[in-house]
Amino acid sequence: MSDRRAEYLASASGPAPDDRDRLDLIRDILGDEATWAEPPPEVADRLLRAIGSERTSAEPAVSTLKRNWGWVAAAAAAVVIVAGLFGVFSPPAEQLVAMEGTDLEPDATGEVTIRESDAGWWIRLDVEDLPAAGDGTYYEGWVWNDDGDGVSIGTFHLRGGDQSVVLWSGVDPDDYPAIWVTLEDEDGDPAASDRIVMWGRPNG
Amino acid sequence: MKTVYERFRGPVFAISMSVLHDHGLAADATQQTFIKAWQAATTYDPDRELGPWIYAIARRTAIDIYRKSSRALASDEVDTTALPPALDTIWEVFEVRSAIDRLPDEERQVIKLSHFDGLTHVEIAEHMGIPVGTVKSRSHRAHQRLIELLRHVEET
Repeated sequence: MSDRRAEYLASASGPAPDDRDRLDLIRDILGDEATWAEPPPEVADRLLRAIGSERTSAEPAVSTLKRNWGWVAAAAAAVVIVAGLFGVFSPPAEQLVAMEGTDLEPDATGEVTIRESDAGWWIRLDVEDLPAAGDGTYYEGWVWNDDGDGVSIGTFHLRGGDQSVVLWSGVDPDDYPAIWVTLEDEDGDPAASDRIVMWGRPNG
Repeated sequence: MKTVYERFRGPVFAISMSVLHDHGLAADATQQTFIKAWQAATTYDPDRELGPWIYAIARRTAIDIYRKSSRALASDEVDTTALPPALDTIWEVFEVRSAIDRLPDEERQVIKLSHFDGLTHVEIAEHMGIPVGTVKSRSHRAHQRLIELLRHVEET
């Protein structure tokens, strides 16, 4: 028993025996650094920006992509309700974008985090239930504008079991708002295939 | 969300640290937890307590990040689906931190200096520049408050 603990238990105004047991139960937790740790101040700013981004990205948008936007309108309506509950937020510097699988990989889900840096736009793709690319193939990330122009942001295969990959964009995601992941063959063709396995859109 | 964040940022970060042992990963887990809570706000039943709901999201998020970071570092022999070792106690960590955050500042400081920094009442008095008797009374009040706030936590 530590001197401090002995001092405390010996004090005339100390807790009753049953409560001492309860204090013993939490003593280790009170002595753990994790219990007292404070999140960095920037977490609050990042959180508000990210939520602001999600609100923006959930609004219906005009696009050349032939998609059914019904779910987007529904999401936007839901966001309006939720925003009423949780308040109003400032525009983002960091963006979070929900990714969904296409008919080729309907079980795949994921999330993209976009952060602007001095070198370009850092883009982390976290996916679930997207299988590793088979032999002779690989995945490629793209950002796409509404004129139908795409820019590759990197390639990956997911064969190591990790479901998180960092990609980079040299073009502004505001100008190239759609994010695609395509399955490519190792055939030297730099153009995007038509096998889109996941997609998302950061700015509606 | 600001109100929810201010109320639960400490407990969420504490359990994230307990699971991940890394400030950067814990910060990511904290951010993701509140984003997920915001995204799932329409599914929250206001008749139920908010704390356990936030806790469940935070626990799941920390486990996911733990597994992802394990996969990034692990060899083939390591089971990357294993649960973090600290998982058995993180509910208590969440509750204790929640209780600490509800204490008045001067009482919280005494608790921290006593339990975390390991100071005696005399040392706390010197550190805070107050009489030893004041430290004892604050310590007594603080511990009584903690006992009351944590009375519902089951012994394990």
